[in-house]
Amino acid sequence: MSQVFHEIEKKIITILKSQSTLTPEKLGELTQLSPDQVRRGIEWLRLKELAIVNETQNINFSLGKNGLHAFRSGLPERKLVDLVKENSMKISDLQKQLGSVFGPAMGLAKKNNWIESAGNEILLKTYPSSIPGEKSLKQIGESFVSKENLDQQDLQSLLKRPDFIVENLIKTKEISLTKNAQALEISESDSGAIDVEANVPEVFVAKTHPLKDTIDEIREIFVTLGFSEVFGNLTQPSFWNFDALFTPQDHPARELQDTFYLDGISSKKIGTPDQIRKVSESHKKGWRYYWDINEARKMVLRTHTTCVTIKHLAENKPDEARVFSLGRVFRNEKVSYKHLVEFNQIEGVVVGSNANLRNLMGIQREFYRRIGITKIKFWPTFFPYTEPSLQTMVYNERLGKWVELFGMGIFRPEVTKPLGITKPVLAWGGGIERIAMLKYGLDDVREFYNNNLNWLRSASKCQ
Amino acid sequence: MPVVEISYSRLQKLVGKASKKQISESLPFLGLDIESEDKDLVRVEYSPNRPDYSTDFGISLGLQGLLGIKSGSIKLKIKKSKNYKINVKPNVSKIRPFVTGIIAKNGKIDDKIIKQFMAMQEDLHFGIGRKRKKSSIGIHDLDKICFPLTYTTTNRNYKFVPLNSKTEQKISEILKNTEVGQDYGYVLGNSSQVPIIIDSNEDTVSFPPIINAEKTTVTTKTKNLFVEVTGINKEDAEDMLSVVATILQSAGFTLESVGITGAKNNTPKLEHRTLSVSPSLINDSLGLTLSNSVIVSSLKKSRLDASITGKNISCKIPPYRFDIFGPMDLVEEVALGYGVEKLTPQLSPSETLGVIHPVSSKLKSLSLTMVGLGYLEALNSSLTSKRILFEMTNRKPDNPISVLDSKSQEHTILRDSILPALLENLSRNIHSQYPQKLFETGTVFFKNNPIDEKTSFAAVWANQDSNFSEMKSILQAALKTGFDLQIETKTTTHETFEKGRTASILINGKTVGVIGEINSKTIENYKIRVPVTGFEISLSGLIFD
Repeated sequence: MSQVFHEIEKKIITILKSQSTLTPEKLGELTQLSPDQVRRGIEWLRLKELAIVNETQNINFSLGKNGLHAFRSGLPERKLVDLVKENSMKISDLQKQLGSVFGPAMGLAKKNNWIESAGNEILLKTYPSSIPGEKSLKQIGESFVSKENLDQQDLQSLLKRPDFIVENLIKTKEISLTKNAQALEISESDSGAIDVEANVPEVFVAKTHPLKDTIDEIREIFVTLGFSEVFGNLTQPSFWNFDALFTPQDHPARELQDTFYLDGISSKKIGTPDQIRKVSESHKKGWRYYWDINEARKMVLRTHTTCVTIKHLAENKPDEARVFSLGRVFRNEKVSYKHLVEFNQIEGVVVGSNANLRNLMGIQREFYRRIGITKIKFWPTFFPYTEPSLQTMVYNERLGKWVELFGMGIFRPEVTKPLGITKPVLAWGGGIERIAMLKYGLDDVREFYNNNLNWLRSASKCQ
Repeated sequence: MPVVEISYSRLQKLVGKASKKQISESLPFLGLDIESEDKDLVRVEYSPNRPDYSTDFGISLGLQGLLGIKSGSIKLKIKKSKNYKINVKPNVSKIRPFVTGIIAKNGKIDDKIIKQFMAMQEDLHFGIGRKRKKSSIGIHDLDKICFPLTYTTTNRNYKFVPLNSKTEQKISEILKNTEVGQDYGYVLGNSSQVPIIIDSNEDTVSFPPIINAEKTTVTTKTKNLFVEVTGINKEDAEDMLSVVATILQSAGFTLESVGITGAKNNTPKLEHRTLSVSPSLINDSLGLTLSNSVIVSSLKKSRLDASITGKNISCKIPPYRFDIFGPMDLVEEVALGYGVEKLTPQLSPSETLGVIHPVSSKLKSLSLTMVGLGYLEALNSSLTSKRILFEMTNRKPDNPISVLDSKSQEHTILRDSILPALLENLSRNIHSQYPQKLFETGTVFFKNNPIDEKTSFAAVWANQDSNFSEMKSILQAALKTGFDLQIETKTTTHETFEKGRTASILINGKTVGVIGEINSKTIENYKIRVPVTGFEISLSGLIFD
């Protein structure tokens, strides 16, 4: 246990060693400390188990308005017997003298046989030397007297009267030292030392956002796997978000209830005439419907980052390439613990004459290995713009089940041919928040955007 | 993605010679995700391009292939019949021009089967039917109908007893009063004429694409079925019919043809297509070296017919597999038949060197500088609300960019500034320890033929001693350290900042942002109890384009 004391503690211990038990007020008087210093000192000592704080409750009495009046000028019945002590008096005169207390005074005096009445006169019968209540009245007077110091029977007669006696609940604290503290030697020599074992206030480290850290980590992994980052707008014409990816214009995913359309905003320029013509032909042939260019002009908040990579490929038509796009995407969903309207996605592509599905799986496996996930498997799935399509399932130890992470596949010829892309394109992608949730052990995805300082300040950098 | 509930014991019966464990392990390899399991019941999610998986009959065909119990394609055996005919009147051509159909006889129908059929119908309507607009199905009790039928139009005062009703109703009443009428009436638009199928007794069979007649309701007593599909193009209608025909045949019905004539309509053929694929495309795409015979057997396991013809593999595709567009779809069929679990990942060396985009690098270095200055990074949505973006910060909305039909009131407009969200963040943290210092970088949006996207950088500092000078020092340090940029400040006014304590930020003589003490009105709006200073500057055109 620490033997280093604050000046306040030293003063309190020193005084208590000679006085054994004191109230905080008395301690303040003797140590010359302010009430707040005394309070803090007692609290510190109590936590160190050096001081004992004994709290007691006491009831004491003081006089109310009528009580004080009676203390100064006597009880009404005393006044009455005093008035008739020498000579009898007329009732009407007594009434004048005593006022409102005449009735009760008469009642008490008659009951105790101190007076009797003859016609309209009142005569003294026996003069009482003491009247119940007088003793207590005198004892209390203008001060506070504790219950045990009073004659209970005598007090009773006063308690019945209105506003005579006020009952007060008094809490008192008494401070004493424990045996350990009694044995302490308080010297002046250690005054330069501080309590190096005590708890200190918390300070918080400024940090980058935990989700940004995950994003940066993922970005760097793909860069080291040979991928270059490409950028694109968050607002896109439907053409690049949907049409170029062979999603028919009447597809449910394109409806208002899934996609955010920008109110009244269309793009005049959506692609080259050749791109537009060939994409429209691909739709007419594959999906058998009337393709409407105005539908393709409608601006949306991108629903995936694939629109950025496909546009990059259409503009550059590389024979060999590894590129990725990372950023915010949007879905018109109800916000819940598993869904956000705005989240981050990474989407990457490999272009090359020899690119094949097993390479794509290899890149995925390597990525997961680098973020510390080794238990993975691949299942077939469906995406409108890839064929074949797979999804990665990773084993979540905490939940004890397989969860779906990135999807992948080879871009359909219906997507690549109209845009003049001739080599196979492997594509993969998925949400980043899901990975960050695994990393930070979160069950509610909203936490990333709540900006709750308690969480941001406490989330550990290395998970 | 759609979900169907099926029973393992029923599947076992349909598949034959397979344990529950085998079935449960094989489902994902057909592309069916198990959503949940409860003893005998399993809920699986299937792809919208495979409506045949909307019933256990369809799923069991796939499982039989994968488990090696049966292979090759399912051939529809349709007996040619002269008893069932539909005559199409030309007046339908402008409304819903095509009808097709089939007869299914001698099947056993129980409650479970009716439930499966209804699920299949719903899925077909939603998916390839595009909410019944492109095509829709009606399934009827054949024995309640007198052939030949007429597919024609009628007016909206025409009356019949619709499904689940005891009384005759006008078409206009059905569209107004029934749930299906309200949901799908839009398909018919405002035309005064609507499509109708009538039998030879002039009894109504169906009012496509809305509702069947009560008279032809399928019950557990029904033995023989009549299926009709109507639509706006012939191919889609026949695709839909082929799914239903395949499922009904798998459910034990025998099929008979329905002859269709008139107004460019004809009897559906429901034949296999032939598609050829080269083994090298398959092996190159999958990264395998499969022999032709393994390719053929894999395709057969995927319930297609395949044979070697010269250098290529010739594939026969049953009509219900209209999800197969071309050779790449066959590559996937080979992968599934061969077994996705047998494909091993292979990491090939990269031919390219990866590079981080310069914008990402610069934003990261700015973040690290701000962290060094004691600021915590925040993240807010770019989609926000008028309340946060304008009302709480006293800014006047200047033609904001709204999204249509947002499901969330907090996400209705795109932000043109980050600062309001940071102030909102402070208001939600008034019980956390001070000082509170936050920054954020992100995209902001402006209307400009059509949209300009800029990168913005904002910071706030809330504490008893928060003040203009120190905030300016922070901004100055961040831009000087990170990008060797010098700032100047000139007196200005701003709705969110305190008059006399607000400045515009200039770099090389150009205004790029604003800095100052947040005014008391904003601070009161947010019930923040300490002074706040903040700034926001646009980085686009400054540290990158």
